[in-house]
Amino acid sequence: MVKAYSQEYVYKHPWDRVTSASWRKFADPENKRVLSHILEVDTLSRKLDPTGKLYTTRAITVHAPGPWFVSKIVGQDICHCVESTVVDVQSRSMQLTTRNISLQKFIEVEEKIRYDPHPDNPTGWTICQQETRIRIKPLSALASMAEKVEQKCAEKFVQNSAKGREVMERICKYLEAESSGLAL
Amino acid sequence: FLLREQLWLCDIAIVREKKKFSSSTSPCAHLRAAYNNCFNRWYSEKFVKGQWEKEECVSEWQKYRACLSEHLEDKHLSGFLEAEGLVGSINQDKLENPADIADTGASQ
Repeated sequence: MVKAYSQEYVYKHPWDRVTSASWRKFADPENKRVLSHILEVDTLSRKLDPTGKLYTTRAITVHAPGPWFVSKIVGQDICHCVESTVVDVQSRSMQLTTRNISLQKFIEVEEKIRYDPHPDNPTGWTICQQETRIRIKPLSALASMAEKVEQKCAEKFVQNSAKGREVMERICKYLEAESSGLAL
Repeated sequence: FLLREQLWLCDIAIVREKKKFSSSTSPCAHLRAAYNNCFNRWYSEKFVKGQWEKEECVSEWQKYRACLSEHLEDKHLSGFLEAEGLVGSINQDKLENPADIADTGASQ
């Protein structure tokens, strides 16, 4: 059984700035305190095709402590994920897909995020659409408490999304100030 | 995912498990930061403005990548890296050696 959760958020900043902020989200030292669940991010590959599409793969290690009954079963509280991103600069779209690659015998999580110019204000605003899908593996030891685990996961994702947005907003403001400083 | 990519990712997972969490003491942290800074500048100042033809951040990428491969202690990694090529620009395929790719491709 798959549970899917969707969220939508509007950044009152142009797409260029929001997508720039997205790349800086995890590495920004001031923001690391807020996103403390992200332990390590490494870029594995990056390819640019002649049509202006940028493909990136990153390895993300997340600290994901669960409730005691999950930790007892799963036995660890860190999770390794892969994030694949495509930025199409011509059509102004950015899509990120993050999946776990460890703990797969217990759970499959897939998070998709899209950044597009907002239809009501394409040059000034950006719409962020996020969808998270959680599937507890049916024969795993977690299956009997699947609903509870999914609910806990969903709560965590919502919390982390909010933290992520907070960090993004801060970075956007910083980039905005920086660009107005330069444009004398 | 490509099988090679999955193998490499599993190895990253194994090595990170062994190191526990020491994100601030990652041996490649400085090279990673240098590469990220270069990439972020390129992305904001060139890429989104439609200028992506010129190669950028190649040496930062190579140093960072070399460090990652050194610290992952992995047999399939070097094959994976060679097959991937030294990514970072649209001209990256000029840097690959077809003979090396053929060798590592067979080991899958």
